[in-house]
Amino acid sequence: MIPIPTLETERLIMRAPGQQDLDAYADFYASERSHMVGGPLTRIEVWRWLASVIGHWQLRGFGRWMLDEKNGSTSIGLVGLHYPEGWPEAEIGWTMFSGEGKGYAFEAAQAARRYAYDTLGWTTAVSLINPANTRSLALGKRMGVTHDYDYEHPQFGTLAVWRHPSPEALQ
Amino acid sequence: MIPTLETKRLVLRAPELSDAPVYAAFFADAAGSGNYGGPLRADEAFHVLCRDLGHWQLKGFGKWIVTLHDGTPVGGCGLIHPEGWPSHELTWWLLTEYRGQRYANEASRAAIAFAYDTLGWPVVETHMRDENTAARRLVERLGGAKTRRATFPDGVTRDVYSLPRQSAEAAA
Repeated sequence: MIPIPTLETERLIMRAPGQQDLDAYADFYASERSHMVGGPLTRIEVWRWLASVIGHWQLRGFGRWMLDEKNGSTSIGLVGLHYPEGWPEAEIGWTMFSGEGKGYAFEAAQAARRYAYDTLGWTTAVSLINPANTRSLALGKRMGVTHDYDYEHPQFGTLAVWRHPSPEALQ
Repeated sequence: MIPTLETKRLVLRAPELSDAPVYAAFFADAAGSGNYGGPLRADEAFHVLCRDLGHWQLKGFGKWIVTLHDGTPVGGCGLIHPEGWPSHELTWWLLTEYRGQRYANEASRAAIAFAYDTLGWPVVETHMRDENTAARRLVERLGGAKTRRATFPDGVTRDVYSLPRQSAEAAA
């Protein structure tokens, strides 16, 4: 088993997902806010997704981190690197369960991108964004993404693929 | 850490990325995967593979990939206890072309021995749908004894069996 690294940003701890995250993850997937990311789902289904998020790390050597506020709430979102079968490229993804409006997703996504470029040596990265998810797109634009192409996913439908600035462009 | 187990004809090892096509092939086969939630698309089968690995991390046990000694994958086998399920379960799956050779039996014996000897479980159980006669036959060959009937979170009522320790010769 590869150890899942812990990252620290100004206000967040990004750490391995685990059983302790199930309540927050299930609450999110029980809510309307999950509709743009495959929800709603039952607690049992969410546990399977949680296991899948952890397993992705083992298969790919990278994955998504659970976010904790340094001095506050835990399990507030899932942000990181995601490349399941059926995805056109490896992506930087973000889903917030709570704590929105504070720039946390932006802070974590930037750390995830730095990790992809500096630690893993990625030369490019994309984010797949549901066109109806204007909030997610606004975050992408703050990160400097530009629209590259559209992709038809068998489950999620049409997803816009937005490309991040290259490692060199961010220097 | 996922241990590797060996039997006379088989190796039980950790699932890995190269097994994605094996999962995809198994779940693409509607007849073969019908008792396992199939058929599934390749992208869905990939998540099953991810989930099987994550199960090890969350629970400390899980499913292995089963291969021949030359490395050819034939299926999977192991012990699972998903969230919300009332009991754990010995489970196995085989690609259709490798069925009928008692591979599931051989792999199951190794998994049962692991549960008793390494995990220290007091009892190993499994359950199956009433119509799954192949699974019932295998469980009976493993010495399984029906202990109760239970209704599971999916609303299906199933027989639950306990499986005894396997003799050393049988497992070897």
